[in-house]
Amino acid sequence: MNDYILETQNLGLRYGAFAALGSVDLKIRKGTIHTVIGPNGAGKTTLFHCLTGERTPSSGSIRFAGKDLTRQPPHKRVATGMSRSFQITSLFQNLSVRENLRLAAQGRDGLAALAFWYSDSQRQQHLQKADEILERVKLTALANTCAGDLSHGQQRVLEVGMSLCGDPELLLLDEPTSGMGIDDIPIMTDLISELGKQHTVMLIEHNMRLVMSISDQITVMHQGNILVEGEPDQVRGDERVKKAYLGESGS
Amino acid sequence: MNTTSKTSIYKGITPAALIAVIVMPMVLPSTTLATEILIFALAALGCNLLLGYTGLLSFGQGIFFGGGAYAASLSMIHLNFGLLSALLCAMIVGALLAALVGALAIRRTGIYFVMLTLAFSQMAYFLAYTLSDWTGGDNGLLDVPRPALEIFGIQLADLTSSQAFYGFVAALFMLIFIFARRVIHSPFGSTLVAIRENEGRASAIGFSTSHFKLLAFVISGAITGIAGALYAMLLNFAPLSNIELMMSENILIMTIIGGTGSLLGSLLGAGTIVMLGDILSSIWPRWMIILGIALIAVVLFMPAGLWGGIESLMKRFRESKTSEPDPKLQQEAKS
Repeated sequence: MNDYILETQNLGLRYGAFAALGSVDLKIRKGTIHTVIGPNGAGKTTLFHCLTGERTPSSGSIRFAGKDLTRQPPHKRVATGMSRSFQITSLFQNLSVRENLRLAAQGRDGLAALAFWYSDSQRQQHLQKADEILERVKLTALANTCAGDLSHGQQRVLEVGMSLCGDPELLLLDEPTSGMGIDDIPIMTDLISELGKQHTVMLIEHNMRLVMSISDQITVMHQGNILVEGEPDQVRGDERVKKAYLGESGS
Repeated sequence: MNTTSKTSIYKGITPAALIAVIVMPMVLPSTTLATEILIFALAALGCNLLLGYTGLLSFGQGIFFGGGAYAASLSMIHLNFGLLSALLCAMIVGALLAALVGALAIRRTGIYFVMLTLAFSQMAYFLAYTLSDWTGGDNGLLDVPRPALEIFGIQLADLTSSQAFYGFVAALFMLIFIFARRVIHSPFGSTLVAIRENEGRASAIGFSTSHFKLLAFVISGAITGIAGALYAMLLNFAPLSNIELMMSENILIMTIIGGTGSLLGSLLGAGTIVMLGDILSSIWPRWMIILGIALIAVVLFMPAGLWGGIESLMKRFRESKTSEPDPKLQQEAKS
């Protein structure tokens, strides 16, 4: 057993002649918060989509917890212990906050949820899970509110909360602070570093202060490939990273 | 909402449906009309599972209705099936047809899904038209029997009188109504709502959405097949119009006019359309124009259907009783 929970090998995705992802060897160590950053068009989102199964890579492989899931569809990855959140908030807007979380907990059951002959409230474990997550993300007071009526910041928190319901080993967070106001960002920062104690977290993020304060490991991507990898301090001082962010026109 | 309330499936709208089923034959001009309403309410119920709870607009409901009617009729005529076995046969055929149509149609979403169900509907019609040796073609399948209710050869009731048949249909309706509520409040049903609300997210949290949509189709087809069989027994005749696109449209219109948010809406929608048809067709042969106007009015002014309209009226009534109405709630009721 090695201590990498997720490993990609030569992962690439081409659209015709354009390589959105060149050849990426990403290794995520168990129990860490691993952030992927990079300027626009660096391939962060493409990499993320390959990991979640939304896109099938054109080359390379993805190994998660010892299993190869390069070609597994998104819904099957949940049962293996992988869970994701969305950059653009994607909730069940007309359902209550608790029901959003309960459904997310039920999702881990996969096809067992096809059962139509007994009441969903008989499945106490899903309700308990929902209530437990409500506590963790501090939304208990809003449990019966429609998800669509929450503030944007609260919706972002629920977004992350839903990805917790399936008891994932690895959490994939796609720009968790996307669109959040400056006042709400500390809430998300606290939440993610709290999650990092129990799960392995891989996230894509633009907010540098958040990235530098919570990450154990940072991967900087540039033009579809990994440019630099290291701890926050290493990455902060790296000349290549500065150059990638400022653009190469100045050199 | 429906999915969050943990009320028993025997409370709430179930007694309301039971009262409606008991009162209908007393107030309506004929028992046959009441029977017809219940039969179409079953078809609308099946359609509501797809449209209201899964968000799938299917023009294939006529296939399952007509298929069920033919299956029951043919099994009774050629194989001497009894009442219950003929209904079982219709249910299975309805479910199988729905599995076939569903399996192919759910490969696409949105408008393409709708077009696929439409294409299947046309195909089924021409198939029934062509196989006139079996279906009677344009003339319909004549002399469909209405056997007595028997279990293991013991006769429980003779259903030749329209009252007795109504009683049987009513009992079956209540059974299926309760079953449909069980489905909606099950893990499966709540997942259907999740798929309706946000299919991408439903898939991301672990649900294989195509399996859920397919099962929704199968259950809907089974219920609609039973409705078709009962209709053939009611008329002693299985007309070709059962499997026409027009039938799919009618079932959809009933479901939408009644309201897709609640199963009681399906009963209300079927009742409204069947009664409108019965009353208006004797006055004016072009009564369908009025039906069109009614549909436009409901869609524009009562997006939640007649049942939704009644619910918001009741809400407003309750508010006017309380001394200080909540302005936010009032606004919601108006919208």
